[in-house]
Amino acid sequence: MHLKYESQIREPLVYGDKDYHQVTEDICRPIEAKPSKLWYVGFYISVALLLFGIFSIYKEVTYGVGQWNLNKTVGWGWDITNFVWWVGIGHAGTLISAILLLFRQGWRTGVNRAAEAMTIFAVMCAGQFPIWHMGRVWMAFFVMPYPNSRGPLWVNFNSPLLWDVFAISTYFTVSLLFWYSGLLPDFATVRDRAKTKLRKKLYGIAAFGWSGSTKHWQRHESLSLVLAGLSTPLVLSVHTIVSFDFATSVIPGWHTTIFPPYFVAGAIFSGFAMVQSLMVILRKVYGLHDYITLGHIEKMNKVIVLTGSIVGIAYLTELFMGWYSQNKYEGYTFWYSRANLFSPYGWSYWGMMACNVISPQIFWFRKMRRSLTVTFFMSVLVNVGMWFERFVIIVTSLYRDYLPSSWSVYYSPTKYEIGFYLGTFGLFFTCFFLFSKYFPVIAIAEIKHVLKTTGESYKGKMSDVDNSTPEDFAHQYAHH
Amino acid sequence: MSQKKYWKSFGELKQTAAFQQDAKDEFKEDLPFETADTGLLSGNTPRRDFLKYLGFSTTAAAIAASCEIPVKKAIPLVNRPEEYIPGVAKYYATTWSQDGDAVSIIAKVRDGRPIKIEGNTDSPITKGGTSARVQASVLDLYDMYRLRYPAIAGKEVTFEAIDKEIAGEMAKLGAKPIVILSSTINSPSSLAAIRQFQEKYIGTRHIVYDADSKSGMLMANEATFGKRALPGYRFDNAKAIISLGADFLGTWVSPIEFAAQYAKGRKIDAKHPSMSRHIQFESVLSMTGSNADERFLHAPSETGAVALALYNAVNGNSNNGLDKKLAEGIAKAAKELKEHAGAALVVCGSNDTNIQIIVNAINASVGAYGSTIDWSVTNNSRVGIDVDMANLISEMKSGTIGGLFVVDANPAYTWYDTKAFSDAVKNVGFSVSFSSKADETQQLCKYSLPTNHFLESWGDAEPVSGHYSLLQPTIFPLFKTRQWQDSLMKWSGSTTDYLGYLKQYWSGILGGEAAWDNALQAGVIHPSVASIVSGSTFNNTALSGAMSAIGASKKSGKIEIQLYQKIAMGVGQGASNPWLQEMPDPVTRATWDNYAIVSPAMAKSLLDIDLADSGQSDAYEVNPEKKVIEIKANGVSKKLPVVIIPGTHSNTIGIALGYGRTPKIGKTAEGSGEDVFPFTNMSGQTISYATVGEASVVDNETYIVAMVQTHGSYDTPQGKRVEVMKELTLGQFTKDPNEIIEEREHELKPWGGIENFETQGTIYGSYDKPGIQWGMSVDLNSCIGCGACVVACNAENNISVVGKNEVKRFHDMHWMRIDRYFSGDMENPDVVFQPMMCQHCDNAPCENVCPVAATNHSSEGLNQMTYNRCIGTRYCANNCPYKVRRFNWADYSGADSFPANQQAQVASGELNAVVGVMNDDLTRMVLNPDVTVRSRGVIEKCSFCVQRLQEGKLNAKKASRPLEDGDIKVACQQSCPTNAIVFGNSNSKKSAVSVDREDNKQRVFYSLEPVHTLPNVNYLAKVRHKETGAEAAEAHHG
Repeated sequence: MHLKYESQIREPLVYGDKDYHQVTEDICRPIEAKPSKLWYVGFYISVALLLFGIFSIYKEVTYGVGQWNLNKTVGWGWDITNFVWWVGIGHAGTLISAILLLFRQGWRTGVNRAAEAMTIFAVMCAGQFPIWHMGRVWMAFFVMPYPNSRGPLWVNFNSPLLWDVFAISTYFTVSLLFWYSGLLPDFATVRDRAKTKLRKKLYGIAAFGWSGSTKHWQRHESLSLVLAGLSTPLVLSVHTIVSFDFATSVIPGWHTTIFPPYFVAGAIFSGFAMVQSLMVILRKVYGLHDYITLGHIEKMNKVIVLTGSIVGIAYLTELFMGWYSQNKYEGYTFWYSRANLFSPYGWSYWGMMACNVISPQIFWFRKMRRSLTVTFFMSVLVNVGMWFERFVIIVTSLYRDYLPSSWSVYYSPTKYEIGFYLGTFGLFFTCFFLFSKYFPVIAIAEIKHVLKTTGESYKGKMSDVDNSTPEDFAHQYAHH
Repeated sequence: MSQKKYWKSFGELKQTAAFQQDAKDEFKEDLPFETADTGLLSGNTPRRDFLKYLGFSTTAAAIAASCEIPVKKAIPLVNRPEEYIPGVAKYYATTWSQDGDAVSIIAKVRDGRPIKIEGNTDSPITKGGTSARVQASVLDLYDMYRLRYPAIAGKEVTFEAIDKEIAGEMAKLGAKPIVILSSTINSPSSLAAIRQFQEKYIGTRHIVYDADSKSGMLMANEATFGKRALPGYRFDNAKAIISLGADFLGTWVSPIEFAAQYAKGRKIDAKHPSMSRHIQFESVLSMTGSNADERFLHAPSETGAVALALYNAVNGNSNNGLDKKLAEGIAKAAKELKEHAGAALVVCGSNDTNIQIIVNAINASVGAYGSTIDWSVTNNSRVGIDVDMANLISEMKSGTIGGLFVVDANPAYTWYDTKAFSDAVKNVGFSVSFSSKADETQQLCKYSLPTNHFLESWGDAEPVSGHYSLLQPTIFPLFKTRQWQDSLMKWSGSTTDYLGYLKQYWSGILGGEAAWDNALQAGVIHPSVASIVSGSTFNNTALSGAMSAIGASKKSGKIEIQLYQKIAMGVGQGASNPWLQEMPDPVTRATWDNYAIVSPAMAKSLLDIDLADSGQSDAYEVNPEKKVIEIKANGVSKKLPVVIIPGTHSNTIGIALGYGRTPKIGKTAEGSGEDVFPFTNMSGQTISYATVGEASVVDNETYIVAMVQTHGSYDTPQGKRVEVMKELTLGQFTKDPNEIIEEREHELKPWGGIENFETQGTIYGSYDKPGIQWGMSVDLNSCIGCGACVVACNAENNISVVGKNEVKRFHDMHWMRIDRYFSGDMENPDVVFQPMMCQHCDNAPCENVCPVAATNHSSEGLNQMTYNRCIGTRYCANNCPYKVRRFNWADYSGADSFPANQQAQVASGELNAVVGVMNDDLTRMVLNPDVTVRSRGVIEKCSFCVQRLQEGKLNAKKASRPLEDGDIKVACQQSCPTNAIVFGNSNSKKSAVSVDREDNKQRVFYSLEPVHTLPNVNYLAKVRHKETGAEAAEAHHG
């Protein structure tokens, strides 16, 4: 009998006939070598952006939210748009790690580490917006339900913003734990290869004393499964709850029951696109072509065309309901403020349509799915489109809502609003650059795990196992 | 007793040098401080020295630090003055008096500071109504830029010195007379003071000059009735009101009085489905025109022709030469007038004598005199004759005037040829200004004796003959100022001061000092029996001359310019008042500037903006940058931004007067608009506020007009938003009084109709509302859009003034606003005003979205806002369907703990200087201590004046009685001249608000009712007396 089944259609997950040592070498090389000039350039640009972001926030906190161009009618603009955008991006990592783990999708191993890191950094970026958009951020701790000395005051559990606080902090915590527990064996590897005392000490601390014992592995596997089980509902719940910020309100264009599934699909859509952008760069810069293969890219492109089409259906459904409901307020928002290209914000709606619905259809073609250039270009386009989607939902609903007397002047951001957004890019990429320098960007242990079935040199070696009897196998693994 | 000497040592006995040295030094050894140069922390420094230093420096630091504690400016009273309880307001009856306008008011004084003005309900003229300008006047008292001392050529002097100087000047006069130049003075005692002065200085003349001139009317009345006066008007008696460009609800003669009368004729309920009919002929959409049942447009130069045509139509003569629409309008107006003869009234805003003669003739033909125009009284608000002023200037120029005393008038700004005036002043022997501000005329005068603010003054006023209103000070003068009457009396050698004279005068008339005290307490003196409306004989000798003069005037083909007054700004009196500058104009909804108002048609021809094209109208609306045009007329050219207002005559540009004031009157006025008085001109005997000119677009130049509302229609491509606003015609209302109810039933049908909507419109449970449930009812038929409530709300609730830069960015803070909607024909639309404030929804969308429960519902139905719990997420503002929540985008109030953060508002320039003006220690004296000043970063909104509710409940409790309806009046309600706002406990069947809702149940509606917000504010639908075809028959015979 054969223990492994090798698909004739599926391509290998790792190319290049790697052995275990080579895998370790390949992935640890960037950590142990001096960073390239390109890395420094990228890192400094990121830090500069981060500093500008900090300055922008400083201005806003000191002089007030009036530093932004929001107004009496449009109370949220770039701030919450960016918040939802980043949260959406932060969905792919956990989806890849948790749901694909539960579904035993072997291909996840090539991309899960970086995708999870991206998730964590994206959620960190997302969290900045609801915090700093507050008028009195120094009172932000009021949202924490803790016993206090302020009399009977308590948080308002009816408010979707409060649900956000819980949803996002939970998601961040679980994602971080999941990511970190996966990192433990790899940190141990780096520790064991360390040549300087300091490295040994720091990676030693980071590895939590991982010794690679079977007991460790066993617990590690169980923990992964438990965390995967915990994160799976979170992937769905976080963006559902973010969508409640809008869906539970009364504003036409927000008050829509379709939002939860539509937001989740959109989040996965944008998350995968962001993973694509980063992966294409990462494999190029670190030469990881053998680990992040075209097969990976293609699979993710398939997810993109699927989720893109789901959001497309959602958009069309909204338009349909705007007409079918015969509600003039909703009708106006969907058909005039959005779908009418010549209305003031029509461009943002059609930008969204073009980027999110029309252009991803290119991925029906295999050649396009496997083209790095097209993939990279599309991944950026999708994230632009998804930014537009949030902008469309927030701004075009608010700027012309119920009372025509309150319809707003044109809202466009100030430099500090843009600065805040750029600052979160700075934060994200600063974190990502540090991550790519100091952390194994691909899960070494997990790659080794799939080598048995997909590495050329191991397939041969595995033939002994293939030829052995089940009794031998049982005997051998009983001691493992 | 011997001089025996005791000694302790030989040294002392002998008084040796060493002993003397020892006795002088306190310590035997040198103090060790000098050794400190080795360093305190070195091992050589003794421990005790270290401790000494430590002790000394700690003490010194502590003392020094305590010296830095700022001096507290509030000093508690050691002995409480009699009748004074800190924290309890006192109310004094007095009178707002400005340039001939006088309104009886009650000033609320808290801890010695007047902080709020209410109308005096005892006044039979204004009946407790106020206007925006009256409401805002209390802020002028604390104006930082008031003149603070008497000055000669700008240098501070004492009153004694300036009196002496002026006495010297007057002694040198010789034969040259002194001229007292004032705006209309209707105070009997002030006029007496002038007479007294005239007796002393024989030949002194008193010339009255009104910038808002009614010369035309005065002279027409002289020609036709032999009285150079304005009659009393009775709009409440009129069934047909035809206004030829008179903004009688806003700025014409006595608008508060007229608004109350007008509203009386507009009150309607299903039992009495009748109302007056108001037709307005005008060139530029005015607030009064907005309230008209029908409007017809004409060019300013056609005013005479329109009046003439109306006269002809009323008298059955034929007309020709007018365009078709206008001719129809005239026929309609004439029909109304004839039908309601004896209850008809024609008023005209023109300042042309001939036109006013014709208007008088029409009124005479339709029996207005004795019914709607009352000659038993005179209205004393304007007595100035323009030609007197023109003559004065030429006399001044020729050097025949010895001295010029300027009281209130400001011709250096308001006269059409300011240069002629300022040059003429140079040829006058000496000039004295009594202005309280460094206005344009004050700057020309050598002597400046600033007069008191009216809240610091004694006085009286006679706005309508026989009706008196008294002034009493509510605060000791803040600065070294003196009432001008006192100055005149002093200079005329009077033995008493003005107060003494006033008291003596009124005690004499009223019969004793006690009666004077009582009158002062009441604030008003009026005839015990209301006078009977009576007419006067119309003398038609002047009529034919007037008719031929008008017939001769030609319509011009060029662009015409109509100058008008804004309700807040007047002829510039409001320019230095931040509340008035920031009050949105009722019609244009713009603040802080004047601009060129053009029609959509002219926008198309002149600016190439086609409002019929949705893309272009969107672009016009969402971009605050407006195109700039250059207007040339009378040899003057002005650049102004263009605001497109439907309902403007297609060939006319409307521009507001009163802007472009000198920055010397304060930073508030700086950079606010353009002065267009140079566009006025002397036309015959009177000033004309219209002219012809040219207009051209200035390329590549735009200007941001700070507007608070950009979209004017509630009609959308997806349907008319009738849930927001409901209006109907009288014809519809008479035919089917239940139309609104049926419409509401239809809207709420999916949720069980009106009856069951509250419970079935939600998936959640509903709650009982026991006890008090505060409710408000706003009658859109009575609301004229005047904005008195907006300013009253500002004053009552300490609402921040944010300045032009912030209004531009849609950051205005008003808790109460008056939305204005257009409907129908774009060139001549119907207009409706909707006061919009927090609706205090029982199912408030704002309440459940706040993460920290900073806004919540009270057991009395109030939607409460807890400022110090608010963290500023703005979610509530987003989720408010009425968009009444306001966010503190910057530190507008100075309540912030971040230092110096009112500058650097980079996003759109800096915060305007006016924010600093409003935060000055002096200006802040106007703040209402009962209302929290909000800091940056929190949301605020209408609270239903919760401080008044609490006070009212407390007073009832203290008196051990239940709260009664009418105990409490909210600020907007109290200020309203037409009583459009009714407020009270809607749980009580007998309360005014419940009665109002019950009596008008056919018109009750709640804005956006189907959203299930369950507001506690309802509106009564607007009914227009407009008739079309069959409806007309219904309306008349139904």
